[in-house]
Formats: sequence, C-alpha cells, structure tokens
Amino acid sequence: MSEPIISLRGVSKAFGDLVVLDDVDLDIPAGQTTAIIGPSGTGKSVLLKHIVGLLHPDAGHVFVEGVDVTTVSEAELYEVRKSMGMLFQNGALFDAMSTGDNIALPLRHHTSLSEAEIRARVEEVLEMVELPGLYDRPTSALSGGQRKRVGLARAIVLQPEIVLFDEPNSGLDPLTSDTIDRLIVRMKETLGVTFLVITHDIVSAAHIADHIAMLHRGKVEAFAPTAEFLRSTSPVVRRFLQRNLDLDATTAGGAPRLPHLD
Amino acid sequence: MSGHVRGFARFVGRTASRAWHHPIPTGKVWEQAWFIGVKAMPILLTMTAFIGSNLALQGYYAFKALGGQSLLGMFVSLAGVREMAPLMVAAMTAAKAGTEMASQLAVMRIREQIDALEVMSIDPYTWLVVPRCLGILIALPALTMMCILTLIGTAWLVTMLQLGESGPQFLHTAFGALTGQDLWIALFKAAVFGLLISLISCYCGFRSKPGPRGVGDATNAAVVTSAVVCAVVNYLISEWMYA
Repeated sequence: MSEPIISLRGVSKAFGDLVVLDDVDLDIPAGQTTAIIGPSGTGKSVLLKHIVGLLHPDAGHVFVEGVDVTTVSEAELYEVRKSMGMLFQNGALFDAMSTGDNIALPLRHHTSLSEAEIRARVEEVLEMVELPGLYDRPTSALSGGQRKRVGLARAIVLQPEIVLFDEPNSGLDPLTSDTIDRLIVRMKETLGVTFLVITHDIVSAAHIADHIAMLHRGKVEAFAPTAEFLRSTSPVVRRFLQRNLDLDATTAGGAPRLPHLD
Repeated sequence: MSGHVRGFARFVGRTASRAWHHPIPTGKVWEQAWFIGVKAMPILLTMTAFIGSNLALQGYYAFKALGGQSLLGMFVSLAGVREMAPLMVAAMTAAKAGTEMASQLAVMRIREQIDALEVMSIDPYTWLVVPRCLGILIALPALTMMCILTLIGTAWLVTMLQLGESGPQFLHTAFGALTGQDLWIALFKAAVFGLLISLISCYCGFRSKPGPRGVGDATNAAVVTSAVVCAVVNYLISEWMYA
C-alpha cells in the first residue's frame, strides 16, 4: 500500500448518547481509490465530514497530507481544503446559478483567471464528466445523474489532490449508477489523484475501488485490497455482501460472484 | 435557551469578524439591498398609508372632544416618526425579508450547500450572511424615510379631504413639532432593527434542523424572535433617547 494521504487516529464522535465513531484508525492510500462501505447510519458520512473539517471529533486526530485538520486554525483549514474536492450526496448545487456558474465558483474565488479562461476550464471539465455544452443550462433542468456529474465537475475543477464522494450512486437507477461508476474509474485513471468514496453499494465499490473499508457500529470492521476484502471471512462483512451475492447468483443462475472478480 | 444565546453570540462574532477582515462582496450587498427594499416597498407603503389614515382619524376624534384639532399634525408626526414608522418597517421586514432569509438559508443548510461552500474554502459568513446584514442596513433606513413621508402624506389627505380641516395648518404643526433628532433616531432605530432581523434570521436559517419541519421551525423562530426583540429594543432606545 502506498503512503497514506489521509490518516485517522483514534477518532471518536458521539451525538448525545449515540456513539457514531468509536476510536477509528484508518489510513487512506495516496493516488488510489478507497471505498468506505457500511450499512446506513453507521457513520460513513460523519467520517467524511471529519476529513474535510466540517465536524470535529470528540477525541482523536485527522491528518490530511500531514496536516492535523482537528487542530489547525480556520484559515489553515481553508488552505488544506483547497487540495480537496467533494461530491455531495445530492450535488449541493446552487439553484440560482447556471450549471457553468456552479462549476466556476471555486475558480472565481481562488484563481485570477479571466472569464474566458474560466469558461474554457469549465467546458473542459464538463467534457470530462460527459456533459458537454451544458454551461448555460439552469441546474433545475438537470436530472439526478446530471446533477451528480456537475457536482463532480465542480469537485475537480481546481485539480485537487483528493476527491471525496458522498454516496455517488444514491437515488440513481442502476444504469445511471453504472455510468457514474465508469466515470469515476476513468477519471481516476486520467487524473491520478486520491479518490475516497462513501457508499453502501458493494457492487459499485467492487467496480471502482482499489481498497475497501467497512464501518460497522462505529468501528472499522475490515480494510483490505478489494479482491481480498470480497473474500473476507468476517461474519459482518459476509452478511453485508450476502444481499448482493444473492442477487448476482439469481441473475447469473449460478454460483455467487461479484463483477470485480470476473 | 442559554445554548441559543451562546450560539447567537458566536454567530454575531463571526459575522462581525468577516465584515471587518474580509473583502466585502459589494455586488451581493447591493443585490440584497435592492431585493429587500424594492420587494417590501409596495406592501409596506400600502400598510403605512392606512396606518397614517387611522392615526389621523383617531387623533382627530380624540382631540376634537378637547377642542384641540389643531394639534392633529403634531400628534401624527410625533407618533409616526418616533414610533410607528420604524416599528412598521421592522415588522414588515421581519415578516417578509426575515422569513425569506431564514427559509433560504435553512434550505441551503439541509441541501448541504453551506457545507459545499465550506469545502470549497468559500466562507459562508462572508458569502451569505454579511451581504444580507449590510443590504438590510442600506434598505431599512431608506424604507423608513419613505414610510414617514407616506404616513404624514396620507394623514394630511384624510385631514383635508375627509375631516375638512386645514391642510396647511396640519403640515405646519406636523413639521413644526419634528426635530432633526427625531428623524435621526427613527433612522437609527431602523438600522438597529435591520441588523437584528438579519442576524436573527440568518442564525435561525444556519441552525435549521433537517427536513421540511426544520425549515418551518427556523422560519417561525426567525419571525417571532425578530418581532419580540425589535419591540423590546424599540422601548429601550425610546427610553434612552427621550427620557
């Protein structure tokens, strides 16, 4: 495994009596795609919000590119965040702006590019997410899958070192989910940066990830390269995989198998 | 309750720090001032016109019993300028612009748009709160001046056309009773109310809980808190300035 670009050390977080993260240790390797899976409500999104500094842990530390984001000043945190892009669950696009203006927002704030250069860069990332020519389209006219792709375009427009995905397939039909998965794989190959994907979709995780970690009851139940993870003997992991294995077996009419292992 | 007071104090501190240290997005400030001022103007001026008419009627019948109709202009102008106009503007702004601020920011909170700004290293206080506070600071004193003129103007028309009293005498006593200090205090009140309404409404929006109920609760809390706080602060300013 390559050097970690993100490290969590003893991270704990509770909301009232509900313990969401319990002494979590995790190293996310640089330049690879890591998926964090787990049942709904197990703290995946909470973990992601700790990495970008939107939440502060009750205990423990989060290091991003060697910087402890739990102790830095707000100004330093803003600097660290410039090396990260994030795709939010529902895109988090601003409805009052056009598609292009949404993507251009970080460029207008953090670069001194001219409007022509900004437009060119936005058109470029729109091409990358397979939505050419949508610069002037209102975000209200975008479908769910298109909103995710525009959110992804905005996340990569500043060419960050780390791209975070919060449930990129949630609420999408299987075909659109597949399109998003292909896009993630292709972009990882093109950009060569670190992708961290939060998902509860094991089929998607198996498609896109080099490593998979599973969160269960606030702890990391398993973390391994994808092929190894899918062969895990942990009862919790097996139970989580079972539903997809059953579906795969039904559709294939044969032995359980996962796409990544084919 | 104490948690809200502490949270609000932190919110105000952060907003003030951003307004002081960060470049102010002037385009967004004027956009907000225009939005708050122009959208509120028709309803506000309509309400004020009828309040001016009522002040004239009530004052006339009260003073007539004492033979003091000539004091009607003074009564309308002092009540209107010192108390009614700033309070009317505050009430309408809390009900209209305040609820819009709270619901917009609450929706942005639950759709993760505020988180998205944070992650893009775009400060949401500078981007969302400061322009609303400064915009309302521009709009409310201007609206208050328009309300004062409308209020006195309609009372003057009612005095002349409906009550058959002397128009010039009304204007003479109305403007004779007013001092420059009265106008400045009215504009000062409007600015304070505007700041309070925008800060309270933005705070309620920022702190919204998820779901449609969260948005509704945030909006409701914004208008109720703003109205009560403005009424109390109005009393304190009047006590301080006129006692």
